[in-house]
Amino acid sequence: MAEYIKLIDLTKCTGCRACQVACKQWNELPAEKTGFSGSLQNPLDLSYDTWTLIRYDEFEEDGGTKWIMRHDACMHCDWPACVKACPSPGALVKTDTGAVVHDKRFCIGCKACVVACPFDIPRYSKKEEKIAKCTLCYDRITDGKPPACVNACPTGCLQFGPKEQMIEQAHKRADAVGGAVYPSNPKYETHVLYVIPTEIQLAQLQHVNPNPKMPTTILWWKNLFKPFTLLGIGGVAGLAALHYMIKGPHRVSEKEEGGEADG
Amino acid sequence: MAKREGMVRVTDATERITHWLLAGSCLFALLTGLGLMFHQWEIIPTLLGGYYATKWMHIFSGVVFAVSLIAAMIMWWHECKFVADDGKWIMQAGGYLWEAEDLPPAGMYNAGQKIFFWFVVVFGIIIVLSGLVMWNPLVFPVVLARWAYMLHVMSVFAVASFVIAHIYLGTFANPGTVQIMFTGWATKAYCEEHKGRWLADRELKAEAESAAE
Repeated sequence: MAEYIKLIDLTKCTGCRACQVACKQWNELPAEKTGFSGSLQNPLDLSYDTWTLIRYDEFEEDGGTKWIMRHDACMHCDWPACVKACPSPGALVKTDTGAVVHDKRFCIGCKACVVACPFDIPRYSKKEEKIAKCTLCYDRITDGKPPACVNACPTGCLQFGPKEQMIEQAHKRADAVGGAVYPSNPKYETHVLYVIPTEIQLAQLQHVNPNPKMPTTILWWKNLFKPFTLLGIGGVAGLAALHYMIKGPHRVSEKEEGGEADG
Repeated sequence: MAKREGMVRVTDATERITHWLLAGSCLFALLTGLGLMFHQWEIIPTLLGGYYATKWMHIFSGVVFAVSLIAAMIMWWHECKFVADDGKWIMQAGGYLWEAEDLPPAGMYNAGQKIFFWFVVVFGIIIVLSGLVMWNPLVFPVVLARWAYMLHVMSVFAVASFVIAHIYLGTFANPGTVQIMFTGWATKAYCEEHKGRWLADRELKAEAESAAE
């Protein structure tokens, strides 16, 4: 199965929220009761039942108001920290499409993925004791269809296709509009890319990690200290066995006791 | 307390129960923790009723570990304070690696056991506190929560390695030791050899008591 990428072109988003609705519909996620918060952003954050939403950032520009709308969902990392952190096999899986999917049947609700994710994507439900997040519509893309959000997008802001083609397209578009591709670190690949026009500073946007990477603590936890536990236990056990064979047990002098002292 | 010929009672029931609560919860938490950490060892969660059940068993054994660790600290910290002779003992590795010429007599615990105690206290506290963060990580700042996962396993590496040494030294390496934590009794010769200063103090005290009567 080929690897795919979802391309989000921020120059084209009108904030219509068709992607939000399509995601709910395809994934059969219930609507949330929301209120007026002074922002168009609604609901205000991702949740167990909201895997994608459009974030609205408001700026004053030339005395007027300027909006930046951003489709926010799982970035589907090539080297996902959530999968690395997950203790339950099958609960979080990086598929060969590039999509990182969760399977609620295997989730044990430990919340390690929520902590590990550099993009703060997985959401935990206390009631269900499980997490949920965007799956890049794995069940659609393996059937040759685009993700529901891409399918619903009326402006071409969301596009979906083979990895190489999308990377090329992202850079071409960024050059054309005078923008940048995010994430820009070539060592940290994701299966979601943004085209961000230059007038937008990443730091101005909510819920963006300007420099995403595998958290060092998570890496050391799993790649350093995890094998250390076995090395420590096995190493000391081996040394103990060597000591027993070379030095033998330390027996209390038996002549004073007149009997077997080691009970 | 009934007397037994040629035997000395070293521990009381409270000490033994605390020791085994601490040891049992530690080993069970280690087992379940390894089962959750190494996907290759799916057999452990499978035998215990699945990953979800194993998660809760790990948390509950951690709670038992925390409580018995507090009890152990209260009970043993006084006997585990370092004294001048401990330096000499450490410099000769307790006579375990080469022939020691003038190994000072130990008190209730020798310097190695004291190091083990403080090692378990320090890293045990890190394990318990980081475990509490991992139990409900979402109420903490994410950086702190990430550190907790790393420190948890780092401390397990430290404690688990030392625990293996502790088990070896208490069983195969020193016959007569583990009975102290089962029955509470050791032979007088054992105590002279391993707890000389403690035994001498105890006999002095007993003499003073009988003289006072």
